[in-house]
Amino acid sequence: MRIDATDVHKTYGDVTALDGLSLSIPSGSTFGVLGTNGAGKSTLFRLLVGHDRPDAGTVAVGGTDVTDDGRRIRELVGYLPEHVGFPDGLTGREVLGFHSRVRGLPRDGRVADAIDRVGLAPEEADRRVSGYSNGMCRRLGLASVLLPDPDVLVLDEPTAGLDPRGVDEFHAIIEEVTSSSDATVVFCSHVLPEVERLCDRAAVLHEGRVHAAGPIDALAADAADDDTGAANRADDRHRGGLRAAFRAAVTDASADEPSEVAP
Amino acid sequence: MTGPVDPDERASDRRTPDERESAPDETGTRPDGGHAGATVEASTTPVTAANAAAVRGSVRRVLTVAVTEYRLAVRSRWALALTGLFVVFGAMILTFSGSALGPDGAGRVVASLTSLAAYLVPLAALALGYDAVVGREDEGWLAVTFSLPVRRSEVVVGTYLGRLAVLAGATVLGFGFSGVLIVREFGIGAWSAFLGFLLGAVAVGSAFLAVALLLSTVVREKTHALGAALLVWVWFVLIHDLLALGLVAAFELPDIALTAFVLSNPVSAFRVLVLSGLGAAAGGGFTALLVDSGLSTASITFALIAWCLVPVAVAARFVRRRRL
Repeated sequence: MRIDATDVHKTYGDVTALDGLSLSIPSGSTFGVLGTNGAGKSTLFRLLVGHDRPDAGTVAVGGTDVTDDGRRIRELVGYLPEHVGFPDGLTGREVLGFHSRVRGLPRDGRVADAIDRVGLAPEEADRRVSGYSNGMCRRLGLASVLLPDPDVLVLDEPTAGLDPRGVDEFHAIIEEVTSSSDATVVFCSHVLPEVERLCDRAAVLHEGRVHAAGPIDALAADAADDDTGAANRADDRHRGGLRAAFRAAVTDASADEPSEVAP
Repeated sequence: MTGPVDPDERASDRRTPDERESAPDETGTRPDGGHAGATVEASTTPVTAANAAAVRGSVRRVLTVAVTEYRLAVRSRWALALTGLFVVFGAMILTFSGSALGPDGAGRVVASLTSLAAYLVPLAALALGYDAVVGREDEGWLAVTFSLPVRRSEVVVGTYLGRLAVLAGATVLGFGFSGVLIVREFGIGAWSAFLGFLLGAVAVGSAFLAVALLLSTVVREKTHALGAALLVWVWFVLIHDLLALGLVAAFELPDIALTAFVLSNPVSAFRVLVLSGLGAAAGGGFTALLVDSGLSTASITFALIAWCLVPVAVAARFVRRRRL
C-alpha cells in the first residue's frame, strides 16, 4: 500500500518539526527513514497513524487522507512506537488478545501464530509483562503489530536499546515479514547498516525536510558522485554508500535544495 | 482518465471489521432483480446494517478496554484494598455505634456510615482514577492503544467503566458487610435505609472517579494528577461545605443558593440524598439545613448522574487533542 506525504508542515509551539516535507513510499517496499535527532522522523510517523494532524499539506495511506478517517488508517497500519510499553499486570498473550479484540479479528489462532513468529516461547507469552526484558517487550510489540497482517508496518526505531543478538533476531523477523508478505514496511533508525541490510529504499530527513530519497543503491551512488572529497568523508565511500549519502545530505542541508534520486 | 489499479489495492478485502460484520450476503442484495421496492430496500438496509455494526464495534472496543482495566485493577490488588478499607471502617462505625438502639438505631448507624463514606469514598475514587490516562501514557500503553483502530473517546469511556466496576464492586462488598451486620442487629426493616446509602455511595464514588479521569486527561504528569486529585478532595469534602455554611450564616440567601450548594458538590448531594430518607436520624448542622432545602430525590439523582457523565464527556473531548 502506497504512502504519500505532500508538502507537510507541522510545528509544536516555536519548534518546526516538519517544514514542507514531501515523500512517496511505493507499495510493497521496505523503506528506511534516516535522520538526526529532531529531523522529524517520529513526527512523520505520528502523522502516518493519525496521532497528530499536519498544519498544512497532506499525508495519505493507500490514497486515504489520514485526517479523513484516522480509525480506518489505523486498521491498515500496524505501528510500533519508539517507547512501547504494556501494563505490568497483563501477560504477553493477554496483550495480544487485547489487540485482537479491539481490532475485531477472528479467533483463529493468530495470537499463537504471532507469538511463534516473533520467537516468543509459549511459556514466556504466559508470563506477566512486568518480567519481560526490553528485547522481549520489543518482540511482543512487533507481534502485536503483525497480528492483523497489516498492509503497512510503521516501526519507530524498533531496535533501539536491544543488544547485538536482539538486533540480529529482530532483523531476521523483519526479513521474514518482508519476504512473506506484500506489506509496505517503513522504519526509522540511526543505524545505517541496519537500513542498508533491510531496506530497498530510504530517505534522509533533516530539519523537517527530505534531503535525499530513493533506492538505496542510487542514493549511495549519488552521494559518492556528489562527494567532492572532504578528507573526513574519504573512507565513507569504502565503508558504506548510505553513510556517505546520509552525511552529505545532513552536512549540505542548509545550502542544498532537496534532492530526489531517480529510481 | 482512469489510471492502472495497484495490484495491492485489488488483492485483499479492504473493508473494516465493522463493514465485514455488516455486509449482507452478496447473493441476497437484489432478491428480485430490479423491483422498485427492492431498490429502496437495497439502498437503506445496508446503511442501517452498517450503523448497527458500527455501534456493535464501538461497544466491543469499549468493553474490551473496560475488561482490561478491570483485570488490571483487580490484579494490582486495588479491588482488594478498597474492599478491605470499606469493611474495616464500616465495622469500626458499627462498633462505635453499638449503643444506637431503639427504632431510630439503624438510621443513626446509616447516618454515621454516610458521614464516613462522604470522606472515604471520594478519596478512594480519586486515588483509583487519577492515573487512568496519564499513568497509562507513562508506561507507554496509551501510545500503543491509540495506535489501534479505536477512538480515543472509546478508550476513555472503557477506562472509566472498567475502574468504575472495581470501585462499585468494592463499595458494595465492603459496605455490604456492614449492611449484613445492620440487618442482623436491627432486622430486615433497616435494609431499605441501608440500600439508599449503598446506592448513594456508589453514585458519589462514580462522580469522583469521573472527575479523577478528567484530571488524568488534562495534566501531563502523574504527580500533577495526584496533587490535583488531593486538591479536589480537599475542596469538595472539607472546604465547600464550610464555605457554604459561612455564607448561609452571614447572609440571607435565597433557596436557590442552597440548591446550588447541594448540586454543585456531589458529596453534599450524596449526604442530602441519603439523610433526607432517614428523617429524624439525619442530625443537625449544615447537613440538616441542606436536607431541609427541599430538593427532590429525582433532582439530586439527576445531579449525581450529571457529575458522572459530564467529566467523562469532557475528558473524551480533551483526550482527542492530547499529544503523545
